[in-house]
Amino acid sequence: MKLAEVIANVDAGRIPASIYSDPDVFALERERLFSRTWQFLAHDSEIPNVGDFVVRRIVDDSFIVSRGENSEIHVVLNMCRHKGMQICRAEAGNASHFRCPYHAWTYRNDGRLVGVPFHQEAYGGDGGFDKVAHPLLSPPHVASYRGLVFANLDPAAVPLDEALGDLRFFLDLYLHQSDAGVELRGPQRWRVRCNWKIGAENFAGDSYHTPHTHASVVDIGLFREPTASKRKEGALYFAGGGGGTTYKIPPGDFDHAIAHVGYPPEMAGRMRAAWTPEQQALVGEAGFMVSAATAFPNLSFVHNWPRIRAGDDVVPFISIRLWQPVSATETECLSWFAVDRNAPPAFKADSYKAYLMCFGTSGMFEQDDVENWTSITNVSRGALGSTVLLDSTMGMDRERAGTATRPAAWPAPGEAYVGYGEYNQRALLRMWARALEREDAERERRTVPLRVAAASS
Amino acid sequence: MTTSDTHSSYVAAPGCTRPAGVDPATHHDVATWLTWEAQLLDERRLREWLSLLADDIRYRMPVTVTTARGTDARPEGAMDHFDEDRYSLGKRVERLEGDHAWTEDPPSRARRFVSNVRVAPIDGTDDVEVRSYVLLYRSRGDDRPADLVSAGRTDVLRRVEGGWLLARRDIVIDEAVLRTQNLALFL
Repeated sequence: MKLAEVIANVDAGRIPASIYSDPDVFALERERLFSRTWQFLAHDSEIPNVGDFVVRRIVDDSFIVSRGENSEIHVVLNMCRHKGMQICRAEAGNASHFRCPYHAWTYRNDGRLVGVPFHQEAYGGDGGFDKVAHPLLSPPHVASYRGLVFANLDPAAVPLDEALGDLRFFLDLYLHQSDAGVELRGPQRWRVRCNWKIGAENFAGDSYHTPHTHASVVDIGLFREPTASKRKEGALYFAGGGGGTTYKIPPGDFDHAIAHVGYPPEMAGRMRAAWTPEQQALVGEAGFMVSAATAFPNLSFVHNWPRIRAGDDVVPFISIRLWQPVSATETECLSWFAVDRNAPPAFKADSYKAYLMCFGTSGMFEQDDVENWTSITNVSRGALGSTVLLDSTMGMDRERAGTATRPAAWPAPGEAYVGYGEYNQRALLRMWARALEREDAERERRTVPLRVAAASS
Repeated sequence: MTTSDTHSSYVAAPGCTRPAGVDPATHHDVATWLTWEAQLLDERRLREWLSLLADDIRYRMPVTVTTARGTDARPEGAMDHFDEDRYSLGKRVERLEGDHAWTEDPPSRARRFVSNVRVAPIDGTDDVEVRSYVLLYRSRGDDRPADLVSAGRTDVLRRVEGGWLLARRDIVIDEAVLRTQNLALFL
């Protein structure tokens, strides 16, 4: 199928199954999507001390994200300027310098090249080879939001804040429960034989799958909410750079809403102080509590509140998910647990337990999702299967006619709908289509050497 | 080798101290227990498996992180794949026994190969510390490549009337990035 045809179908809510496995589509995504969108690398709490680093990828490019001597964050391409060797082969650690194992070129963690063996004898010193001109390369743009550090390989990228736009209103409900922000544990990393978009779409708005796919967790009393009626009362929203799902909470004020999902009163007080009146009203008066969400293209969030021990009490947890593409048919999932830094230690421990029981490698929600997604990817490879147009039109007629049910009150930005509908999946794939149809004309050399690529926070 | 040899540490070679062991009968009993446990898990007799666990069990599998040599200390607050108690293990079993755990329906064909069993006494108790290797072969569906999961385990087995209960299991998984699609199976 030609790209124009794929895009016309996607815009019409008919999804060519081939987009979930076609290597040509993936090649285009590499060039036009992952090289042009803001890609999440790490959270600043993962590298709290001077010298701490983690190594993360954007598709096939490896980057070192490190904390420099003045506590600033650096992002450098993990590739020696001499022969291209990966200079850091650990996933995480603490180092002031990285030495290439091949010829011992040595770089500071801010990227400066400080050591070239036999510099005088081999090159004639700085006159022959200028070390200053050969630092590790940095992506053209590095920026952060609420401690989440992103890079963008497109020199012409729009600023991160603009790309996230009104989605930030909702991200704050996960990431800004107090002025201290969140701290992360993780990630768990695992590879699944599915296309990266399936998870991103699912987290963005698939409240329709919850009652059936996740029936088992309701059966065992782990979660009281994802019954069919509960799920369709929630609102779906799409705002700026992404969208998500919410659950409707029983009527009551803000403190009741926060307590309903298991936060202790002291945390509710800090949320009240950290959130705008509109953010408080969304949760309190309107009664919508955020659940899953996706920031285009491949960063997702989840907030749920299971029971972690006998009794009726629930404990909320937050998780951050990167759908890192490996190929058209394989995705590396990176899954972090996040919790407010100011939360009481006992709450942090319980919330972590709630995460482990529900999401990630062993999570009881997650396990059943992946079984579906690997199957979709596999089936979409067939000679016949790849030609099928999958139906993603739920709610489209109502959306077009302007008759889709809106929440009675929505003190938040974006388009919001109540009831089942694939509004968000379509919105996400429309953004995907816009990225893929953008020609290469404005492409420049992507990676420019920057001495210091400090992330603003 | 005499029984007394296996009861105490001794220098097996210069610079190489072999840890204390247990008498052959105990070793045999523990090794048989591990094989039996693997059979219950392979055959998905999970309710019976639960009966082998102590009420205060802690079942843990930290995430393995690739770090430079000599810097492999696990930081405080690092991530796990599992950190389970009796309640959460019970919930996991209850889920897998139900009709809606799609991830294991059709079930994986799984075999756990358990080897390199070492048993050490725990001073002042009748309990033993058991180290073993486990290799899980997991085949799902009719045509997917099978998964192999390699791990080492350190268990505490508590001696009770008529046998042993698993009181603690720490699993070191050898992959930093898991290649199996989830951990719906126990190791």
